[in-house]
Amino acid sequence: MSRFQHDQSRRAFLRRTGQLALAGTAAPFLTTLSAIGDAAAATATDYKALVCVYLAGGNDYANTVVPYDQASYNAYWAARANIGLQRDALANTLLTPRTGLDGGRQYALAPTMGGLASLFADGKAAVVLNLGTLVQPTTKAQYQQNSVKLPPKLFSHNDQTSYFQASSPEGATSGWGGRMGDLFMSGNGASTLTCVNTSGNAVFLAGKQAVQYAVGTGGPVALLNNAKSLYGSSTAATTLRTLMTAQSTQMFANEHARVSKRALDTYATLSSALGAAPASGFPLFPSNNSLADQLRMVARMITASQTLGIRRQVFFVSIGGFDMHDLLMAQHPTLIGKVSDAMKAFYDTTVAMGVAQQVTSFTASDFGRTLQSNDDGSDHGWGSHHFVMGGAVAGQRFYGRAPVVGNNTADDVGQGRLLPAVSVDQYAATLASWFGVGAGDMRTVLPNIGNYDSSTWNLGFV
Amino acid sequence: MLDSDGLRVADDRGTLAVDAVATPSAVKAGGAALPAFLLAACGGGGGDGATSGTSSSTTPVTVAPVALSAAQSSRFLGQATMGATRGSIDALVSRGFEGWLTDQFAMPRATSHWDWLVKNGFNVTANMNIETGFDPTMWRQLIAEPDQLRQRVGMALLDMLVVGIGGVNLSWAQFAMAAYVDVLLDNAFGSFRTLIGAITTNAAMASFLTFLNNRKANANTGAQPDENYARELMQLFTLGLYQLNMDGSVKTSGGVPLETYGQADVTGLARVFTGLQLASNDNTTPDRMRQPLVMNAGLNETGTSTFLGTTVSGGGMAAINAALDAIVAHPNVPPFVSKQLIQRLVTSNPSPAYIQRVATVFADNGSGVRGDMKAVIRAILLDSEARGDAALSSASAGKLREPVMRLTGWARAYGVTSPSNAWAIGDTSSPSSRLGQSMGRSPSVFNFFRPGYAPPDTAIAGAGLVAPEFQITNEQSVVAYVNYMSTLVANGTGDMKPDYTALAAKASDSAALVDEVNLVLAAGQLGSDAITAIRAAVDSVASTATNAATLRTQIAILLTLASPEYLTVK
Repeated sequence: MSRFQHDQSRRAFLRRTGQLALAGTAAPFLTTLSAIGDAAAATATDYKALVCVYLAGGNDYANTVVPYDQASYNAYWAARANIGLQRDALANTLLTPRTGLDGGRQYALAPTMGGLASLFADGKAAVVLNLGTLVQPTTKAQYQQNSVKLPPKLFSHNDQTSYFQASSPEGATSGWGGRMGDLFMSGNGASTLTCVNTSGNAVFLAGKQAVQYAVGTGGPVALLNNAKSLYGSSTAATTLRTLMTAQSTQMFANEHARVSKRALDTYATLSSALGAAPASGFPLFPSNNSLADQLRMVARMITASQTLGIRRQVFFVSIGGFDMHDLLMAQHPTLIGKVSDAMKAFYDTTVAMGVAQQVTSFTASDFGRTLQSNDDGSDHGWGSHHFVMGGAVAGQRFYGRAPVVGNNTADDVGQGRLLPAVSVDQYAATLASWFGVGAGDMRTVLPNIGNYDSSTWNLGFV
Repeated sequence: MLDSDGLRVADDRGTLAVDAVATPSAVKAGGAALPAFLLAACGGGGGDGATSGTSSSTTPVTVAPVALSAAQSSRFLGQATMGATRGSIDALVSRGFEGWLTDQFAMPRATSHWDWLVKNGFNVTANMNIETGFDPTMWRQLIAEPDQLRQRVGMALLDMLVVGIGGVNLSWAQFAMAAYVDVLLDNAFGSFRTLIGAITTNAAMASFLTFLNNRKANANTGAQPDENYARELMQLFTLGLYQLNMDGSVKTSGGVPLETYGQADVTGLARVFTGLQLASNDNTTPDRMRQPLVMNAGLNETGTSTFLGTTVSGGGMAAINAALDAIVAHPNVPPFVSKQLIQRLVTSNPSPAYIQRVATVFADNGSGVRGDMKAVIRAILLDSEARGDAALSSASAGKLREPVMRLTGWARAYGVTSPSNAWAIGDTSSPSSRLGQSMGRSPSVFNFFRPGYAPPDTAIAGAGLVAPEFQITNEQSVVAYVNYMSTLVANGTGDMKPDYTALAAKASDSAALVDEVNLVLAAGQLGSDAITAIRAAVDSVASTATNAATLRTQIAILLTLASPEYLTVK
């Protein structure tokens, strides 16, 4: 790895081992690992990856995980006849969990989600019901009386996007994916690639030390296509790199140079590693599917990670278009179908790669939407149903609690906007725990997790 | 103290504390054609409206006019146009800021986007469901139209009052978008309230923010009106989330920020934006895409709607206008809109005093008029924080240059045109092969970058500053940009070729060449290290080599375009 990357790992390692000393070394080393936290990761020889599949715009939960038992379906249809799915179209994607839900409740996935439905049946995917942003456990009465702290700016896209990803509204400087990266960077060769984003910048992957690395679906971009001369001059080509990365006392100029330096320093290592894992070796992904393109790059990066000595990695992929205030029936089935197809292809690819147990994917979104329609679409909501997927997932199960279907029930705050029963913090803590984050580090990753009883931190889905 | 051009400027004691500078700022409308900071002796030019509170005397003192430097001229044009040219720099030096603004404010549009599309035959059935024509008319006007201040402000408004063609679900989308951009350009020098009214009855906006054919509530189905426009109009276009003081600071109570609106306000306001539909059913031509929307009484809510402490009832355009009146009258609008306009044109982190000076003009232009865009634009561009030299040596003043403006700046500086009228630059949104930004192609109403974005793990964020344009800056985009510009600089694109004749005449003298490129593209803001390095690279191609003048010129240009000091606009 380059000197730049080595320095990053070394600095992170020293920062963490300083805390190792404070934790005390009287007890045998192995038994103190969980209390110490990342020392386990720093010396881990296995590989684990978390993949956040972000559905940008606020996915419509009611037409994704659809009430199927007759009573619930009737309530669903009553609330949104003009944007509702026909019950007989749901038969093929009816979910049959290991243990039935209370009260005979049933759900089917949208008809276009055959991929995720089959993974559910195979025990490789699970559904987490009614999950959303909260600061602390919140009842409907508390919400209505405003007697507990609530996430600020509920129903606002950019703030809820930030809150879901970072436990803080727009302007957040780090997200829980990045904060996990902070803990594990020191154990990674090429630690610059600890947090990888295939769709631009997202606060989710920003750590306090870990800086996300952006890579496109075609791999890292080669400066001047690796040409050694610029306009006939090798001096000009060298000067180009020097200028692009020149430090400055001006903050904006300096930051731009830092990004360029990261790009140029990482290029050779990453493109070489990816060259050994060309796209042609990952044929299961459907075409015309931007999420699939991104997940193919994630699969290639995971392959590359084995040669680069990366042990813990957090990925962010994203697909937009979910803010369906209108045209829901025309657009949602195709869009959520693409999510299902891409995720299924990704799972199958990890099986072929032999890393299915080591990669856990999970969906995320700004918020859910209203159950009731605005005639041909739905509006901003709150709680939503999400998917977790991977070889380590305890699948074919529902987690959380099935909300009552309707308007102004005990489980919604009007128009079928669900009041979350499971918080993003608990969802994240479950994933973090699998990833190797110890109890002692959980509050660093999730500042609000202390507001929940520690027995509820791990939902058990992975 | 004197700056490097021998002009008198006020001392600057700090980087962020610009409001400590004892310089009155805004040049009063109709005042002398002098850079604002030269009026330090005049004791204030802003009258009772735009004042930083630091001026003492209000008695004008006659000051002999001092010529604008070329660097100052280029810097102004870099803020007020889509890019400086040698010709426009010289012309501004002669005319002065006030004269230039007067000329630009008076300049009628040479052609509208709509008319250009029609004149060039884009209104044929084959184009009904594809976007062909949109990018060409956008690039053409941004690069070549003479009403450059209007183009620059129009672009700023499009970054703020966002519509992206990908989210316009209408036939003739290129025409619908053209009509929308025309609304912004036609109203750029008018009244903010009129502008907001015009976008509210625009077909592309109604489709993008999903209020076209928005229905009133239906008790039988439980359907409620679509809330999208009500929310985004308040959150993004006019008020923002939190109550603001005139200096842009957030009002708090007990340390908690005070919100401007809640969910109930959104739901209440949504009732008003019901019933708007396209002006006709005729889809055989694009015409209805530029006609203001009309009211369908059957879809429109005529009952009472309550929001922001106001009630409107009776429905129709009257209710919409009453609602917009109430919103635009809200005390948040001057600071909220002014700060964003400053961020678009001048600097990402204006001082509270700068915001206050501009917001005060927005609230009242000096003649009792609220939302006078000309007055606001003048206040922004002539403010000492925009014109003074303090920003040039500050660690934190300025902004990252928007990628689109890097392209238009190069194109304008070197006479790039399209003889065939194709203007085939195309969609430049790709972050892996283009600019990561393209006008009118934002993927959502949140634009390519947010006004409040702070890049994580940076000194910028650590200092509590924002840098919106960094939201589209990452390891892909920084390399893709250089690659793309390296091909444009050498070959142009399609029939759009640069003309380096004037530069090539200086090419054998690397100092003169680099100085000229630095002046026109970077307003002279490249540092000495960069200049030295670029000169050495230029000189690595011997003047006797084949094609030397062209190669040396290209090297000077591309290395400038890739320099962090160029990429930072001060």
